[in-house]
Amino acid sequence: MGKQIDLLQGTLDMLILKAVSLGPLHGYGVLLRIQQISGEQLEIQQGSLYPALYRLEHQGWIASEWGESDNKRKAKFYSLTAAGRRQLHSETEKWNRMASLIASILRTTSEEI
Amino acid sequence: MNLLTRFLSWVKWMVKRQRLESEMETEVRFHLESRAADLVRKGLSQQEAMRQARIEFGGIESHKDAMRASVGVRWWGELGSDLRYGFRLLCKNPGFAAVAILTLALGVGANTAIFSIVNAVLLHSLPYRDPDRLVRAYFNEPGLGLRDVRFSKPEMDDLLTRSGVFEDVTPIFEGSENLTGAKQPERVEGVNTSFSYFSMLGVTPQIGRLYGPQDFVPGVAPVVVISDGLWHRAYGADPNVIGRTIRIDGDPVTIIGVLPRGFRHPGPTTSGDAEVFAAFGFIGAPFPPPLRGTRIFPNGIGRLKPGVTLKQAQARLTAMAAQLRRDFPADYAPQAQWTIEIQPLQETLVGNVRPMLLVLLGAVILIVFIVSLNIANLLLARASGRQQEMAMRLALGASRGRMVRQLLTESMLLSLIGGAAGIATAVGTLGFLLRFVPSNVPRLNEVRIDWVVLAFALLISILTGLVFGLAPALHSAKVALTSAIREGGRGSGYSTKTGRLRDVLIISELAFAVMLMVGAGLLLRTLRDLLQENPGFNPTQVVTANTWLGVPNDPKTDPYLGIPGKVAFDRELLRRMRAIPGVEFAAITSALPTTNSNPNAVGGLAIEGFAIEDRPVESSQDLRAERIRISPDYFKVLQATLLRGRSFTEGDEDGKQQVAIIDEATARKYWPDRDPLGRQVRFGKDPTKPWLTVVGIIRDIKNDGLDVDGVPHIFVSVYQDPNKQVSLVLRTSLPAALLEPQIRHEIQSIDPGLPVFNVSSMNRILDRSLASRRFSADLVGGFAGVALLLASIGIYGLLAYMVGQRSREISLRMALGARRWDVLKLILGRGVVLAGVGIVAGMIFSAATASLMASLLYGVRPHDLVVFLIVPLLLFAVAALASYIPARRATRVDPMRGLREA
Repeated sequence: MGKQIDLLQGTLDMLILKAVSLGPLHGYGVLLRIQQISGEQLEIQQGSLYPALYRLEHQGWIASEWGESDNKRKAKFYSLTAAGRRQLHSETEKWNRMASLIASILRTTSEEI
Repeated sequence: MNLLTRFLSWVKWMVKRQRLESEMETEVRFHLESRAADLVRKGLSQQEAMRQARIEFGGIESHKDAMRASVGVRWWGELGSDLRYGFRLLCKNPGFAAVAILTLALGVGANTAIFSIVNAVLLHSLPYRDPDRLVRAYFNEPGLGLRDVRFSKPEMDDLLTRSGVFEDVTPIFEGSENLTGAKQPERVEGVNTSFSYFSMLGVTPQIGRLYGPQDFVPGVAPVVVISDGLWHRAYGADPNVIGRTIRIDGDPVTIIGVLPRGFRHPGPTTSGDAEVFAAFGFIGAPFPPPLRGTRIFPNGIGRLKPGVTLKQAQARLTAMAAQLRRDFPADYAPQAQWTIEIQPLQETLVGNVRPMLLVLLGAVILIVFIVSLNIANLLLARASGRQQEMAMRLALGASRGRMVRQLLTESMLLSLIGGAAGIATAVGTLGFLLRFVPSNVPRLNEVRIDWVVLAFALLISILTGLVFGLAPALHSAKVALTSAIREGGRGSGYSTKTGRLRDVLIISELAFAVMLMVGAGLLLRTLRDLLQENPGFNPTQVVTANTWLGVPNDPKTDPYLGIPGKVAFDRELLRRMRAIPGVEFAAITSALPTTNSNPNAVGGLAIEGFAIEDRPVESSQDLRAERIRISPDYFKVLQATLLRGRSFTEGDEDGKQQVAIIDEATARKYWPDRDPLGRQVRFGKDPTKPWLTVVGIIRDIKNDGLDVDGVPHIFVSVYQDPNKQVSLVLRTSLPAALLEPQIRHEIQSIDPGLPVFNVSSMNRILDRSLASRRFSADLVGGFAGVALLLASIGIYGLLAYMVGQRSREISLRMALGARRWDVLKLILGRGVVLAGVGIVAGMIFSAATASLMASLLYGVRPHDLVVFLIVPLLLFAVAALASYIPARRATRVDPMRGLREA
């Protein structure tokens, strides 16, 4: 396990939306998917995933449904709604703009001022 | 955000709380077990894996709590626990809880009761069909300064046909009638109208039928409708009363219907509700020919056509009146500027009691303010004691908002318990209270605690809860963390922040108390002035009684026809009265002082036009005075002062020179620069009537009410101008109750068909005429007393608390050489300064608002110097006393204690 990066404030929601956009997942599945995509580099406090899931569902960005897990257990599956898809899109755009802005600021050398 | 989605999700949570809680549990467990399974796969033991999974997950309960918060349901769970905690706190401090709940019950109860009256009297629509379209029509002569003069049949027809704004119009006659045929002749209030009266108001009968346009006759219809009250009282609610013939003023009439229980005639009630209703055609005998100048109708009400606004109708009527003045110049003297005015019927019924009710409402609202400020102070004292608790909560992670909410929940709990107690008090005492409400307040039978009143009570409770809860709550949350933990076990001192907030509360409380006391002072002073007012006569040892000779519609059946018939009755009556042992003098009047009983009364005052011999006819238009018919001994019975000339004698009778006695007001008004004695006057416009010679001048008698000045009166001899309304005044040392059977016996020995009513002492009559002022003065006075008490408790509580908190400091000061006097000065000074600021603020508010009460005052200006001097002095004295007690306790602090603890 390599060095892990703490999750940036406010990015958890975005990651959850991205995770479930690839297909319905239960809570633990969301955690695994995020860790998998990030190459095990993100540290998420597992319990804090659930308030975020509830909040996103409350806002209508994801929907939930009870179903059966791989190991034949009852589990709650979350999937992205249309509103969630729009939200993910705009969040992604915002994030990219922000990231490139910050990156360009950090690249600045004294000659360029 | 999508509010609807969120709302639906919240509702889902609220409704399926149990299931969702268990689902949450399942979901978390699934996560933990899945994680544990993965960990086992990585080689951990089952037990170790589960432990590891739990650690990675974090605090399960706090995450669950966060999940609930995410969907907005945590709030309710917390509310429940806050309420339970608040309730336990109240139970732990029964003294505080009792004071708070009792004062709140008083405040909310008083508000509920007074508002229920305001609601029924002022706010509710009248209980008739489409009440907004009902209006009262006034005929005015502004050029002569006259309002509400009588009108004629043609003028009424103009309203109906020519104006085009009325759907219906009826004249209204209200007055006494003799009801005979039952065991005892009874005097009842009767209402006579045209045939459309009931259809206009939209009434349906309880039994039988009501008369309508189809019953029209030119003169008098031989049918009556009676009230539910009379039906029960006189006929035992017998349904066979329909078709029965009774006698009203001697006329045989048939009862055709009984009105429903709640029906009341929309007019003034002087001595009770109208009980007998009859309809007239007004164009045939016994009515005079319907000429434009024959103005016989005292009152009129009408129903506007649908869609016609009051403003449109008024504009149309004003224009029509102008046109009529041009069309009939002989009937409308140009200088009178005769015109027509309409007012909503509701306004005419309740307009005169509105100021009183609003002042009472203002008083109870001030009381509830004072109550809540008082509780705020108590809570704030408690909050200072609870700082430790609050600091602990903050340290353990409670948010400020969360703490404010908890404290607000506690005060809301308190205010709602107090409010419920208040509503219960109001419900329980409303009937009792209504007995003291003066009978001139209309619609009291409609007063009840309905949902509007309950909503108002709830609103008041919530507002007081906010007022007294918010300040301490915000304050605690702010102060807690900074001070309490640092100061540890010893309660924080009298910190400046708490102190300042409490000072503001006390000052506002005192200011409100000042306003209430000033209001009460003004009302009480008015009442006292009126009680001490010289009515122009001596009311003690005077007994009064009334009878009514009846006005049969067929003159041939009238036993008291013409002057001789009535005078014979009057003389016989007086002879018999004088013969009663213990009666010194007896006299007759047509208008008992302060009762507004004059049958010719227009708007309460019988103002008739008259002429003066040596004045030109045109100017005689504006000569008006109230005519009162009296027998010779009247002034002797009342012990009124004859200033000049002579009283009437037994010889001032029909056929002799017609005589009159005027009062000072008449003399001043009509003969300001000449001697009125020997001058001649004549009532009405009929030039064939004889002139009356002024033979005497008396000092003004307050005939129209102790608070009515300057109405000119002309007294005439009852032997020359007798009246059907006969009021007796007897000078006697016997009480009214003892004389009543004898008076009844004597009157009914003359005529067994005559009713005898309202036998009472003159003092009681004067007293009753002040009932409405007494009621408001007593009520506001009582509230002012409560306010004074609460304010002094407040200032005492504040200083006592301060002494307790600063006792260490005080003992140190004393150990270092401060004298008792210095300590006394320290504490007392604080109380005095607070009281001073509060009183000054209150005086400023009072001065600004006192003029709102002007219409309730008589002889006292709204900025009465005495009231504005006594109130601050009284309150200041009480506040100083309330400060002195804790201040003296401060001087007893043991100086050694401070040293020991230092």
